[in-house]
Amino acid sequence: MNLIEASNITKDYSLGTQTVEALRGVTFGIEQGEFIAIMGPSGSGKSTLMNIIGCLDSPTTGTYHLNQQEVSTLSGDELAGIRNKEIGFVFQTFHLLARNSALDNVMLPLKYAGVSKADQVNRAKDKLSQVGLESRMNHQPSELSGGQQQRVAIARALVNNPSILFADEPTGNLDSQTGHEVMQLFHNLHKQGQTIILITHENEIAAEAQRTIYIKDGLIESDTRKE
Amino acid sequence: MILQESITTAVDSIRANLLRSLLTTIAIVIGTASVIAMVGIGSSAQRAIDDSITNASARTLVVYPSRGRGTQKISAAPLSISDADALMKDKEINWRIAPEIRGSKSLKYQNESISIQVIGAREDYLSILGYEIDDGNFFTQRDDLARKRYAVLGSSVGAELKTSSKALVGKDIDLGGVTFKVIGVVNSEGSSGWSNPDEQIYIPLFTASDRVFGRDRVDAIRVEVPNTYTPEEAMISIERVLRREHDIGPGEENNFRINDWSQFTDLQKQATAIFSALLIGIAGISLMVGGIGVMNIMLVSVTERTREIGLRKALGATHQAILLQFIIEAVTLCIIGGVIGVIFGSSLYFLVTVFQDWVFTIPFSAILGSVMFSAFVGLFFGIWPARKAAQLEPAVALRYE
Repeated sequence: MNLIEASNITKDYSLGTQTVEALRGVTFGIEQGEFIAIMGPSGSGKSTLMNIIGCLDSPTTGTYHLNQQEVSTLSGDELAGIRNKEIGFVFQTFHLLARNSALDNVMLPLKYAGVSKADQVNRAKDKLSQVGLESRMNHQPSELSGGQQQRVAIARALVNNPSILFADEPTGNLDSQTGHEVMQLFHNLHKQGQTIILITHENEIAAEAQRTIYIKDGLIESDTRKE
Repeated sequence: MILQESITTAVDSIRANLLRSLLTTIAIVIGTASVIAMVGIGSSAQRAIDDSITNASARTLVVYPSRGRGTQKISAAPLSISDADALMKDKEINWRIAPEIRGSKSLKYQNESISIQVIGAREDYLSILGYEIDDGNFFTQRDDLARKRYAVLGSSVGAELKTSSKALVGKDIDLGGVTFKVIGVVNSEGSSGWSNPDEQIYIPLFTASDRVFGRDRVDAIRVEVPNTYTPEEAMISIERVLRREHDIGPGEENNFRINDWSQFTDLQKQATAIFSALLIGIAGISLMVGGIGVMNIMLVSVTERTREIGLRKALGATHQAILLQFIIEAVTLCIIGGVIGVIFGSSLYFLVTVFQDWVFTIPFSAILGSVMFSAFVGLFFGIWPARKAAQLEPAVALRYE
């Protein structure tokens, strides 16, 4: 059984009297340990698909199994629990809390998971050293470079040991050198067995993944694997 | 865990927008400050009134002759010195009796001449009114019986004669054409409403009756009631004695009237209560306005932090966790306002007690109550913005620009 089983997923948005079909029946599976890129032009339904795979939204029809659990019918709070435990998000704009230290930012998912304070600190420190930022854990985001901020965000995404690391244009706000460093970090994580889903519009970045799903007009146009 | 995190976040967020937060709480500060100041001032004023009831002047009843009412002609019988003597002889209550004859006379000293309020009284008049002699002596019972032409001055009489009261002790003055010797000065007592004891002159009762006014009709009889009796019990006794003296049959109306000073203190209490109610009303309105202000700023805060809310939700914050975070922020804001208000209100109240020479007693329940009420205002007005925050869709909130 795959880690992710999405079958015949559709998503409609109603804009007043008009209904927009963002996804028109998408079916795919993702295995444990895969490094996959999802590509597509803007307006293709790529973002909608990401929201659904990331459990930020529910499909209109179709089924979505994550870790053999049907999540398309779960309530908002149940989805919050799934996001907390199963999914780690990395965003283009880092999305760090500006007034909190790197350590506090990494601890945030653990706070919502109800982990004890001592465990929060230990696990967050652990992940920060994994991304090479142990020495900067008491710095606020404004005192860190873009690459460092993104590494804090990756540590935060990994702190709850999620099944999937979800990265939405993770290098979009970085120069090519730091972007490359971040991609290297993803490769290392992948080698350790981490499932990674990368959303990108850059062919160069997508090329680093083992498999690329290309979305167009709400449908999967191609699904290719690198040998 | 979530609670602790919410409090930390709330404090951080208030600190981040310190000026805005403090401005928002001004109405809460004013509301709480007025509650505290009012409760404090109210309780001190109450205490001052209560204290004054137990002191001599407040426990003094005053008997006046009745004024005529229309055609009924019940004013015929005036009060006389013999009425005072009858009260003095009555042993049912061990009261003290002070009859007084009052009138206006001209007072001359050297080239100065003024019109002055003359009070003919007995030797214990001063102690019954709670006044004290400042210089020289008050006249004695023997001076009274001897119709001595002795005068005691109020403290500011001398100044009106272009000298000082103390300088006049031992001097002769002319009171309504009769020469008096000044033997003492009364302490400055301050004005008490319609009469000012400092501007009066005191002479022995019999002297006033025989040599100055030529009448034994008195204008008032003061009755000092001992603490062991209530004013009501004393009033019944006074009525019994005077009705007998005035030969009033059963069913007939009194031809005198008794003023109970506690009526005035009751009025004063009522006025204080109305005043407090008014200010507590203002405090209530101001807390309400403050609450709306807090709601407004929380709505702004929710909008400003939409992306943060989206992120927190993406990381696993439940509806309840977000709700709690924003409610706690609103409550914290209001509690801060409440605490500042308590400090301001207590300071204001403290200043008032210093100027009024009152006791500073701030009830702890008032402090706790007003801070709790501010917290409640925060809770009430924080719910709606917090619900707005909690209901944001994570996917939409994350991409909010």
